[in-house]
Amino acid sequence: MNSVIGKSFPLIDSEDKVAGKLIYGSDFALHGMLYGAVLRSPIAHGRISNIDTSKAKQIPGVRAVLTGKDLNLPHYSVAGEKWLDEQLLATEKVRYIGDEIALVAAVSHEIAVDAVKKIKVEYEELPAVFDPEEAMKQNAPVIHGQFGTNIAREMNINHGDVEKAFRDAEVIVEGEFSTGRVHHGYIEPNAGVADWRGDNVTFWLPTQSPVLARMTYAKALGLAKDKVKVFQLPLGGGFGGKLEYKLHPLCALLSKISGRPVKMVNTRQDELTASLPRVPMKIKMQLAVSKDGVFLGKKVKIIADNGAYMNYGPGILLSAATRNDNLYKIKNIKTQGFLVYTNNMPTGAFRGFGCPQSHFAQETLVDEAAVKLGIDPAEIRLINASEKGDVTPHNWHLGSCGLSDCISQSIEVAEWRAKKELYKKTKNDVWVKGIGIASCLHVSGNRTFLPFFDGSSSEVRINEEGKVTVFPGEVDLGQGSKTVFAMIVAEELSIPMEWISVSDMDTERCPHGMGTFGDRVTTLGGNAAKDAAIDARKKMTEVAARKLGVEATEITLKDAFFRTKDGKSIGFAEVAEAASYEKAGATVVGYGSFQPPNVSMVHPETKVGNVSCAYPFVTQIVEVEVNRHTGEVKLLKIVSSHDLGKAINPMMAEGQVFGAVAMGIGFGVMESMVEKKGAVCNQSFKHNYMPRTTDMPPLVSLLIESNDPNGPYGAKGLGEPALTAIAPAIANAIYDAVGVRLRSLPINPEAVLKEINRDRK
Amino acid sequence: MSYAVNIKINGYQFSEECDENTTLLDFIRERVKLTGTKKGCDNGDCGACTVLFDGKAVLSCMMLAVQADGHEVLTIEGLTEENGLNEIQKSFIKAGAIQCGYCTPGMVMATLGLLSENPDPTEEEIRKALVGHLCRCSGYENIVKGVKLAAKAFSELKI
Repeated sequence: MNSVIGKSFPLIDSEDKVAGKLIYGSDFALHGMLYGAVLRSPIAHGRISNIDTSKAKQIPGVRAVLTGKDLNLPHYSVAGEKWLDEQLLATEKVRYIGDEIALVAAVSHEIAVDAVKKIKVEYEELPAVFDPEEAMKQNAPVIHGQFGTNIAREMNINHGDVEKAFRDAEVIVEGEFSTGRVHHGYIEPNAGVADWRGDNVTFWLPTQSPVLARMTYAKALGLAKDKVKVFQLPLGGGFGGKLEYKLHPLCALLSKISGRPVKMVNTRQDELTASLPRVPMKIKMQLAVSKDGVFLGKKVKIIADNGAYMNYGPGILLSAATRNDNLYKIKNIKTQGFLVYTNNMPTGAFRGFGCPQSHFAQETLVDEAAVKLGIDPAEIRLINASEKGDVTPHNWHLGSCGLSDCISQSIEVAEWRAKKELYKKTKNDVWVKGIGIASCLHVSGNRTFLPFFDGSSSEVRINEEGKVTVFPGEVDLGQGSKTVFAMIVAEELSIPMEWISVSDMDTERCPHGMGTFGDRVTTLGGNAAKDAAIDARKKMTEVAARKLGVEATEITLKDAFFRTKDGKSIGFAEVAEAASYEKAGATVVGYGSFQPPNVSMVHPETKVGNVSCAYPFVTQIVEVEVNRHTGEVKLLKIVSSHDLGKAINPMMAEGQVFGAVAMGIGFGVMESMVEKKGAVCNQSFKHNYMPRTTDMPPLVSLLIESNDPNGPYGAKGLGEPALTAIAPAIANAIYDAVGVRLRSLPINPEAVLKEINRDRK
Repeated sequence: MSYAVNIKINGYQFSEECDENTTLLDFIRERVKLTGTKKGCDNGDCGACTVLFDGKAVLSCMMLAVQADGHEVLTIEGLTEENGLNEIQKSFIKAGAIQCGYCTPGMVMATLGLLSENPDPTEEEIRKALVGHLCRCSGYENIVKGVKLAAKAFSELKI
């Protein structure tokens, strides 16, 4: 029986946060530091013919003014990508409105911003392309001349006999779907401080991955990795948007030239015009279904808008092109994916990593197929649902699978069948009610990018007073990984939570670790913390045994005491002190690591590979009310069920669910960048509207524990898939209410009304 | 043009020379170096910079420091009492209202503003009072729960 695992604890850093005492990345300061500012391109595509910085340099208080021509900047990429398409500053060409051109460091932020405005740039404008389908054409302007094409990646995935599946089908449903460029909306903007001394540079960053930051920034700055140190600072949200980001190494360039530490913090306008939002996708999908509702085959074509630079695009496209195939027992699949450069804002990782886009298409078509066949949409999912023990065409090994439980339990709690009947009676009202369902899956750590590394390591250090510090290889973004690690260590060492603290991550003291993305932290990092705690327990038990004069095997550790069967005992703190004093202050350190078993990179051509050691599943049910006269959609209730393997901390798990559902609502019916020829028109939270308190319907979260054999105590990922099925569930609920299909996100009243009116004609 | 500005923050008087366009938020964060008050948008859209100004919740990014001359400001740092956290802070922790924590100081100050005007708000009143505050982590569910807990805790203290 676990004494800590499975209980609700508030975050261990709650007190600092609620008291305003936690120093976030944007709060951090060093003595004598300067403030930087960036000059960004006002045009979408053009050659830089001249840059005049003379006026900026004359402003009192300015300490450095830099352009790409002043420096010999290497080309680089992120995530081990072979196409090196980025430089820290545009030297010859600008490729989107927001591209970084020049930098200023000054004694105050205001002076730096003023000086940047005094830099004069002359451009020779080039034809630009904003629609990825246009950008794929032969005669389109080429955005990166060195590659000779805008198609950054093409993927072709073939399983089984798709043509036969389509010939055998009773029903074929198809559609063209599109999704928007959505910002993460973390409340703390990107920020960083860098200090360049000699040929070493040290960063203090609110980053999701100090290790990836070091790897990428070393390449971008032309340094060896060992010249770069990264200290992670607390983040005010991340959601995928705080992996590698140019602002950080730009601080380093300014520090190198000025000789002083340099800080930069994005404005919200910078965030909404020049960060790394979600990859917009156009998805054509066809689903072939037998008369019994069995999914026979699927054909898919995805065109993903990379924006001006690659970033995590290839991994995101791969995820969109493969993951949702594993949700159901579908054997015949033909998918073609294209990742395309455009002159739009570059895109990157965002909670869900391509899955919200592709599941929107798939889960809408599944609903359509059910309706056409006269099968209940929940039932058709149960017919096809993947199960524990399945090995999918992508070679995913489902060691646990609670999908059917998610579907069954959520339809019960949502009173699915009763509501469906009840809402039919509202068909002639102005406000018509409907209910929709959708499912999805995700990974718990994703073996996509780096051929040389996977897994997680952790160290558990016990000081002479018996207090414990955990050094993880993963970062807490606010999702609560510090608390999860502390709970795991408290469980294994049988000590109070108050005795444990968890370090922020850095490249100096922490184990080498990938950081936080791909729902990897609880499963991989949790296993590593558990392993390290067990190692520490073993070492402590040996010391206790010596002190008690018995064999280590005769000792049990419970409630912070080592006890023998005949009633002798010694306290945890006393053992820690003895261990330390006997060895000149050397404290007990437990080392732990976890390499996910049976996991591999995908095959470069077929994309087949068991990319994760545990797969979480989700089903979400949304009730809506649609105004037939205005197209307005109101959300009435959401039931969200999650096979998370094991809820290590139910209150925090629910917190993840509620937050992800809100983000899913944003993705579904509210958020997107409004773009005109590459210019983002909605550059503030006022105009780029995200869900607020009054937009949220009542939420019910169901945590379903399928107990995965590879998860610590059975735990799998949670935070990402809890977003994914919301948008299609809303779209399906709208169909249930007013009988129209919305295939473009975000769904707005105008589009709903247009479809209702089209339907009438 | 610069002005001598005197503001009482958390009970202490601060006198600083500052430009006419220095916001109250920058005065608090950059001059007084109290970074518990957060900057999320600089535009009045996110609520992270909320402080109490003469007892009323305001957005410190939408006010100039010179406007606060001669007035009293309470920030999140001033809320923590000598004997520890205030009831609102404790309730937020208990309810699991805190994730990344970046919106939290603003949410807590807004809650203080709300409860001082309306000690027993309905859920709808809570949601309306916090509508100007963005949180991207929580879906607001546990924050609303935290406010309810705080209201209850205050009413029990008064009895």
